[in-house]
Amino acid sequence: MATEIASARGQLSPEARFLLLALPGALFVVTFLILPMLSILVFSFWRTESYNLIPEWSLDNYVVLFTTPTYMTFLLRSLLTAVAVSMVALIYSWPVAYFMAKYGGRYRLLLSLAVAAPFFTGVILRITGIQGIMGPVGLINMGLMNFGLPPISFLMYTPTAAAIGIAYLFIPFMVTAIYLSLLNFDFELLEVAKINGAKAWRAFFEVTLPLNWIGTIIGLVLVFVPALGDSITARFLGGPNAASFGQVLSLQFGETGTWALGSAMGVVLFLVSSFVIFLMWRSVNLRRSGFTGREG
Amino acid sequence: MSSIEPELPAQDPVTRPGTTLSRRAALASGVGTAAMLAAPHVRRAHAAGLNLRMLMWQDYNIAETVAEFESEHGATISPAFFDGNSEAFNKMKAGGTGDFDLVMADGFWPRLYFRDGLIQALDPARLPNLTNLFPDFQPGAYDLLLDQPGGQLIGVHNCWGSYGITMNTQHIPEEERNSLGVMFDEKYAGHLATGARFEENIAMAGIMAATQLGTKDGPRPNGDSSFNPYHLTDEELEAAKQLLIKQKSLLVTRYQDYDSLQRLMRPGLVWASPEFSEIYRRLTRARRAGEIEFDVVHTLQPKEGGLGWIDSWQVSSGVTDPAMVELAHAWINHYISKQSMYRVGMKGVAPCYDVRDLLPPEEVSLLMLDRTAELRGLHMFDQPSSPEKWERVWSEVEAA
Repeated sequence: MATEIASARGQLSPEARFLLLALPGALFVVTFLILPMLSILVFSFWRTESYNLIPEWSLDNYVVLFTTPTYMTFLLRSLLTAVAVSMVALIYSWPVAYFMAKYGGRYRLLLSLAVAAPFFTGVILRITGIQGIMGPVGLINMGLMNFGLPPISFLMYTPTAAAIGIAYLFIPFMVTAIYLSLLNFDFELLEVAKINGAKAWRAFFEVTLPLNWIGTIIGLVLVFVPALGDSITARFLGGPNAASFGQVLSLQFGETGTWALGSAMGVVLFLVSSFVIFLMWRSVNLRRSGFTGREG
Repeated sequence: MSSIEPELPAQDPVTRPGTTLSRRAALASGVGTAAMLAAPHVRRAHAAGLNLRMLMWQDYNIAETVAEFESEHGATISPAFFDGNSEAFNKMKAGGTGDFDLVMADGFWPRLYFRDGLIQALDPARLPNLTNLFPDFQPGAYDLLLDQPGGQLIGVHNCWGSYGITMNTQHIPEEERNSLGVMFDEKYAGHLATGARFEENIAMAGIMAATQLGTKDGPRPNGDSSFNPYHLTDEELEAAKQLLIKQKSLLVTRYQDYDSLQRLMRPGLVWASPEFSEIYRRLTRARRAGEIEFDVVHTLQPKEGGLGWIDSWQVSSGVTDPAMVELAHAWINHYISKQSMYRVGMKGVAPCYDVRDLLPPEEVSLLMLDRTAELRGLHMFDQPSSPEKWERVWSEVEAA
């Protein structure tokens, strides 16, 4: 039996083998990305009336999105939050990942598991946990009040509180991406840079960072995209002035039942995310990044 | 929960003094008794292996009630949960009639479900436990569970309540407690909270706006004969939007769940918030136990008007198999039994059925089971006249 299979395998042409290997990935992408996106795209040109989706084609939803300041406010709010969170995550994650990769030694696995520990629970539980720290009666503010100090108001149901919550949720992605990149980094190169007169910061910006730029970019994408579309954190931590694009989008598919407008919002979110990923990818210089595989 | 359950009063046997037992009567009663004893098993055999899929509020998923039913009928229960009426309605519209056998709704919603062919008419003869319904909820006093104009039963009452305002009496003076104005009063800035449900936020602001504009008794849109806060005129809707925008600066947050609101009200950070009276009950119990130092009141019906609801069980139109229709009725009848409703009451939700004889007096008072008549003056939860228009208003409030 095993021989038959082996001979059958032997008869496969390289093209057939290529197709066979590509098929699972292609099926996944078609089923779970392209088809749902196509349906969302179609719905975005329809309209809803009292919870009914009506297939009348028009650009009305996009006109509403781009001409009504309301929805642009949500998009801008989410973009600013995503940029700020990505920058904070970047600045925070680099030293953490660097420490793990360079000084982790035999505890590297343990440290990377510790970074991933919050993922052992659900997102709502993690947000509830952070509420217990930052909320009006959370650990920080109750501690301050016990010492007769005023509570920190920006930690209580504000856009800043929501941004902190998003950063908390997604920083582990960035740390992991940079850490995995640093695992393949030859730290001896830094010694060479120093011998040649480079100060520590220059060695970092001209050697370490460029050679780990792909990992950094992957980390940025992994933080920016979910931060841009976040709906849960703003809902639970943001208070009345922090409604995000993702939060309003999810409302369209839930309570308001305005699916067509929600679909258009989904398309806009997808395009904005894709554009940002494209810009980030454009910043990658494969040769400078130490990429050694085929470029074609 | 079982440890605190009281014994249900035993049914009085119907006796006829002075009659003698004939052979025919003995035979008949023997057959009757055998039939009665066998009935659960016949029903069980009939329902064995069947699965009832429900779209319901999570609070009503009571393990003991489910276990009892499953054991009695040999069927299984698969619950799925939702937060708001429109969410459940959308699910049912999007193929939910094939996914769910029972769905819960409140206020006007059952009629909308029925009008859209999402649920089916029910057979009252299969629901003998309906006899225990409070008079204030029976047809005539409450008709929203009857189809118009047919008058068929389309849903079965479950629990009732208002979206009243719970207030901390230390901070809200008595003379202000009967008004919605508290929720828009600048002197309470930083000490107010509201729920996250957009319909009820707009409807409540709509009542306030119409009161301020003096338009409640004027001509109504949608052919309504009286004021309905879910069917506002454009002028009222605009005024409600302005009120909600102004209210934002007064709010600590729009709470997502009871626990969040409790965390804010219990330490006295939030003084007033509309809610389904759950926090009122929790805080009253805490006050009785000496855990907090202030009293709370729950205004069911502010002077401007209030929102109320009766939630109910509906059978999906996708249920066509007679055995499943029978099983769905059996579930509803089981759920509205006194024992089951007692459990619901002990969870802190007010049943539509008279279980006052089972509950401790303080629970009867907390559940407002002596105030059922107040439901009559409340505006029932409804579908917004135009979800599209209301979505725009809510988005503008959120973006402001």
